[in-house]
Amino acid sequence: MPAEPLLSVRGLSVGFHGAIAVDAVDLDVMPGEILGLTGDSGAGKSTLGLALLGLTRPPGKLLGGHVTLEGEDLLALPEDELRKRRGSRIGLIVQNPRGALSPLHTVGGQIGGVLRAHLPLGRKGAWQRAVELLRGLGLNDPARRAEAYPHEISGGMAQRVLIAMALGAGPRLLVADEPTSGLDVTIQAQFLDELARAARAAQSAVLLMTQDLGIIANYCDRVAVMQQGRVLAPMSVRDFFAAPPDEYSRTLLSLRREAPPAPPAQETPLLVAKDLSKRFTLRGSGKVLQAVDRVELTLHRGETLGLVGESGSGKTTVGRCLLRLVEPSGGSIEFEGQDLVTLKPAELRRLRKRVQIVFQDPFDALDPRWTAAEILGEALEKRDPARIAELLALVDLPATTAAQHPRSLSAGAQQRLSIARAIAAEPMLIVLDEPTSALTPLARVGIVRLLRRLQEKLGTAYLFISHDLNTVEQLSHRVAVMYLGQIVEQGSRVQIFEAPRHPYARALLAAHLAPDPARRRIDRAPEAALAGEIPSPVDLPRGCYLAGRCPQAQEACRTTPQRLIALPDGRALRCAPEAARAMNTEPTLIAGGVLT
Amino acid sequence: MTGFVARRLATALLQLVGLALVVFFAIRLLPADPVARLVGQNASREAYLASQHALGLDRPVLTQFGAYLGALPGASGLLQGDFGTSWVTGEPVAKEIGRALPVTLELITISFVLAFILSVPLGMLCALKPGGAADNATFGYSLFAGSQPEFWWGLLFIYFFFAIMGWAPAPLGRLDPLSTAPPAVTGLITIDSLLAGNMAAFSDGLHHLMLPVLTKVFVLSGPIVKMVRQNMVRVLGSDYVLFARASGLPPGRIARMALKNALAPALTLLGVLYGYILGGAVLIETVFSLPGIGSYAVRSVLAFDYPAIQAVVLVIAAVSLFVYLALDIVHALLDPRLAS
Repeated sequence: MPAEPLLSVRGLSVGFHGAIAVDAVDLDVMPGEILGLTGDSGAGKSTLGLALLGLTRPPGKLLGGHVTLEGEDLLALPEDELRKRRGSRIGLIVQNPRGALSPLHTVGGQIGGVLRAHLPLGRKGAWQRAVELLRGLGLNDPARRAEAYPHEISGGMAQRVLIAMALGAGPRLLVADEPTSGLDVTIQAQFLDELARAARAAQSAVLLMTQDLGIIANYCDRVAVMQQGRVLAPMSVRDFFAAPPDEYSRTLLSLRREAPPAPPAQETPLLVAKDLSKRFTLRGSGKVLQAVDRVELTLHRGETLGLVGESGSGKTTVGRCLLRLVEPSGGSIEFEGQDLVTLKPAELRRLRKRVQIVFQDPFDALDPRWTAAEILGEALEKRDPARIAELLALVDLPATTAAQHPRSLSAGAQQRLSIARAIAAEPMLIVLDEPTSALTPLARVGIVRLLRRLQEKLGTAYLFISHDLNTVEQLSHRVAVMYLGQIVEQGSRVQIFEAPRHPYARALLAAHLAPDPARRRIDRAPEAALAGEIPSPVDLPRGCYLAGRCPQAQEACRTTPQRLIALPDGRALRCAPEAARAMNTEPTLIAGGVLT
Repeated sequence: MTGFVARRLATALLQLVGLALVVFFAIRLLPADPVARLVGQNASREAYLASQHALGLDRPVLTQFGAYLGALPGASGLLQGDFGTSWVTGEPVAKEIGRALPVTLELITISFVLAFILSVPLGMLCALKPGGAADNATFGYSLFAGSQPEFWWGLLFIYFFFAIMGWAPAPLGRLDPLSTAPPAVTGLITIDSLLAGNMAAFSDGLHHLMLPVLTKVFVLSGPIVKMVRQNMVRVLGSDYVLFARASGLPPGRIARMALKNALAPALTLLGVLYGYILGGAVLIETVFSLPGIGSYAVRSVLAFDYPAIQAVVLVIAAVSLFVYLALDIVHALLDPRLAS
């Protein structure tokens, strides 16, 4: 017998100047459950989330409906009564956590302010309670953190401050709207673990709104899909992934069912980077930031090398050094037998045709005053309309696009145009720098398919730089993992995704949320996570860069710099103890990367 | 914070030094003959030369500059804090500026504070309902007030409040000719009269400030209201205000938080506005016959009184820089992102 729903929404509608953003939504949230709500951008998820609290962004208006929380219709309450329910009975976490905090007030003061609005606490009591909340959320030195201003803390920490504000007064329902967008993979997993734990401890239900089906698969009990303002009936997560009820989710999940691309039959080296380094001298202090540290890379003809790592790991700088958009401080880059590092400017310009780059934000990378035809024409030797039409067809853009400006195209179409421009000169290698990160999940699927097809047809090699492990898995033949400017492990896709060896790679892959409910992170025992935060690339440790955070660090790790060691199974590893272990025991494949 | 202030002070000093240099040479490039101006067109050649020698204008320009700076032995100059002597009145320039500057500072500071006190609530009111009645009325007002030059408003106010209604005193200076001025301590009539316990002079001083301040506030409020409104609209539309509402904070607390965020960036603009108003003070001073720094500057320029021109430019620049700095420090105290 199902229990009474905690929250029951009936016929809720929100309009913006006549356009309906949330259309007669019915939804029940059961006590203690985590209900996922997914759907494409613009489906109305955020608007629905705010409407549950009786709020809209101007000029939006609540057009009608009932939001019944614990038997009380919130929308029928007078404004002051409704205000008292917000934060104490129903809490909200939003994306862009730093934007959600006032920049001129300390985070402790802001948490305390919410507590005092709902609980009989004085200024001092509220402050102490805020510090306790932060401690409970796993922040070290919470007393000092509470005195920090939002610009002084990281995005992950700011997100925890929001949880403290949303859960501080003990609401029974938490609405979390894309709570992890913009966070790194390991921080995201840690944050969601804490969110689930905090909600469970407070016996709160969570309505988790996200486009990321990996999050849904790993944390939610049930899931509902929202499209064009309407919410489809929720179903269990297992049923959802077995048979997605709508076109949108089916398209997103379709890539996973297809076989990943086969590696090229023959391995002919195309680009070999040795000891590639880049140092930046910081202005003012004169300190040196080691962005790229003795990177060794080999790219074969027609293959895709995925370069993964968290923000600040130096993966973007590596990509730019390969084109000499950023001058390397040291090392060599051999491309088709020539050393790029010593090339003269005129020769370099000729060679740039052979190596192209696609950037993260297509809108910034395209001249807003040019039409698509002009953009493509510039990349060609001569402006040949037939060739332009051919390029547009190659990236599945209609021929009419030629006359359009970038701003009238969707982000996905802009990125296709960027790719068309990159392939115009028939390069051997394209550096793809987070090409899917600024796109909606749906557009991302389209770009991944396009990249696969172009590679099959043209035989171009890709260096695919991304922090999105799902996309990397769908595209790459081999994968290199970066940490603090160094490659810590390199191997085939299967080796890295199914049995990573380096402790950092293991932690990264363990935090990877695959859209597959078979091995849910929330049901797994927590794994040996890395302690603390990434050290500053200005003051690097003397020995292994991970030693301070690694659960298996030995005394020697702290003092001896680690070399990249080639293993017999083809992978390279920057961890002497783990390499020794691998040489002694036959490597075994363990799904999900559990510690051996 | 100390580093921030020290850096800003050092920059301000450098700017003043540069300005002193530019002003000194720029006025000597003018096709003007201050000596002829002083001795008259019909003076004899001997009288002309004697006067030129007395002013020191027969010396090479670099020597003159050395004397101006006070780098020559036996003479005092800028380095000793001496602005020199006016060629027209023969009085030390510093003394003359000491009389004129407080008049202007008193007027525009009082106007600024009043305009600010009026504009902040008005700007907030407009921001709460953009396009509402208050917003439209304020928009109309600032368009109206800003569309006419301030001396014109001053004349209108004199006509209405003095000539017709008789509420304001005659626009002839800072005090009634019949009242006795308090002994100058700060130079600010309001403060000096209070210090001397002279309540008659105090109320007379305020009475005489009435119309100039009204004119200033009338014109100044337009841009300040607009600035406050713009900042407030931006803050009210921000994620943190939305999130504060979603957290159930009471409206009063949200308003206080929003106000702090809206006013902090407005301070810098106020500093810019203050310097601008100081430079244009001559208009209002002329209309109300106030012996302020603006009138002094214009008189000096018309008389080719080089020492006075050089000093006035430096002093006005120094005051502007000081106000900038003071407001920047307040801004940095409000906004921790600036101090770090």
